[in-house]
Amino acid sequence: MAMNPKELAHAEIAEIAPLIKSKEISPVELVDLSLSRIAELDSTINAFIHVFEDEARATARAQEQEIASGAYRGPLHGIPIGIKDIYENGPTTCGSKTLDGYVAEEDCFSVKKLKEAGAIVAGKTGTYEFAYGPPTLETHFPPTRNGWNTQFECGGSSSGTAGAIAAGLTYAGMGSCTGGSIRWPAQCCGHVGLKHTYGRVSRRGVYPLSQSLDHVGPLARTVQDAAYMLQGCAGFDPLDPGSADVAVPDFSAKIGRDIKGMRFGVMRNLYEDSASPAVIRAFDAALQQIEQLGGQTIDVPCISLEQLLAFAFPLMWADAGAIHVRNLRTRAMDYGRHTKLYLLWGLCMSNAAYQDGLRVRAQVRDQLLDHLTNKVDVLILPTVGFQTPRVLEQTPGLEFLHGEAFPFYTPIFNHTGLPAIQVPCGFDDDHMPIGLQIAGKPFDEQTIIQAAYAYEQEAGWYKQRPDI
Amino acid sequence: MDTRAVIRAKLAEFDLDVSEEDLDELVPAYENLLRQQKMVEAMLESKPLTEGMEMPLSEPILVHNIARYR
Repeated sequence: MAMNPKELAHAEIAEIAPLIKSKEISPVELVDLSLSRIAELDSTINAFIHVFEDEARATARAQEQEIASGAYRGPLHGIPIGIKDIYENGPTTCGSKTLDGYVAEEDCFSVKKLKEAGAIVAGKTGTYEFAYGPPTLETHFPPTRNGWNTQFECGGSSSGTAGAIAAGLTYAGMGSCTGGSIRWPAQCCGHVGLKHTYGRVSRRGVYPLSQSLDHVGPLARTVQDAAYMLQGCAGFDPLDPGSADVAVPDFSAKIGRDIKGMRFGVMRNLYEDSASPAVIRAFDAALQQIEQLGGQTIDVPCISLEQLLAFAFPLMWADAGAIHVRNLRTRAMDYGRHTKLYLLWGLCMSNAAYQDGLRVRAQVRDQLLDHLTNKVDVLILPTVGFQTPRVLEQTPGLEFLHGEAFPFYTPIFNHTGLPAIQVPCGFDDDHMPIGLQIAGKPFDEQTIIQAAYAYEQEAGWYKQRPDI
Repeated sequence: MDTRAVIRAKLAEFDLDVSEEDLDELVPAYENLLRQQKMVEAMLESKPLTEGMEMPLSEPILVHNIARYR
């Protein structure tokens, strides 16, 4: 397979890995390509906060020798990836002035595992400050621009990881997700974003936002590539109290199986009143394709968006406020203004309201688990109800807290801990990607990967690449 | 007590000051939070006690549910 440099930069891991294994492509060649594209394009894209040029080249040279000697580790061996800058891995800013100059003493658990699997970290990627919030101009680092059209955002908070893949700077990367920060940027950039079951991947060494909601996981070009990345970082860690001591299966085991008879529970009540016409059109077309593949679509009762937002973000920001309160006392001026305001807002939540929120989310979790146990095999709905936003020209207020401007459907799976995967399902009138998410039973990532892969292959949206 | 004073008092519990400019943004956000809290209360009340109790639970409960639902 002959690929020109641009095609190679936008290739899938599943395409490249066999070439590395057979020594047709060297990790040195891939890292050189990534670094040259970062040098050429990232002054526009702003995906990276730190680039590990020397370290990536040295690792690639060592891996070239290793592979030449026959010690091939697997599909991530020699693959350049990006790591969201909230993971402890060299200089780590969390996108915030408050951490300027901080350098981690050692790599966090998941980065160590990915490196052991052979992935090469090209650098640390941009994030909304401390991994939360909506787009804002009041940030310490410039916003990441979208390779599909640089007038548009990459979503967030894992903006840089998504933007790096979209621009062909890396092949995959790690994000984090407390309310949708893997799936939303993956959607904005036409990627796959995989939020695993709560506890599947260790958060040790990743800056927290909410301990009961935080997940760390991959973004990649395809379902198969995302499965490879999850395979590389999953596993029990006794030093993360939320880590689950469960076996790590082969996440690719069900890839390629058909979905005949698979029951898809459509969570219509959550999205139908708030999703844009373009999102509804793309999602309805996806449901039709799923039915053509033999899947059954069944409406299931669920909460409304207004009900979800009534507890989802208040709980998250209350947790975040507690994490940051000591810093706010002494360094409030070093936070972006919006970051600071969201934290202050979270601290205004009363304990009684917080406890009520926890109780409600337990009810919601039980309802979804009941569906998945008795009625359907997976749940499905759009990832978000709005189209990819343009890069801001004016700083917004706190509309995000009111919910109307940003109908996010992602937090429901953070609050319930269920695994969920975002897959592209079309484009809007600006030719910016639209996505859907499929969620499943706890620790059954295999089934959502099976369903997402079947749809992805049938729909074919993943074959389109940004022209950059 | 007006909303600005309530927010000031809540943040003072944490030894945090807040500027008038910040309060301009926080007041509508806080009023929205109160509306959301009422909605959460209504969601709780909408479930009859006979359907079972809900406890304030965080992440370890998911492990219980694995056993319950698998």
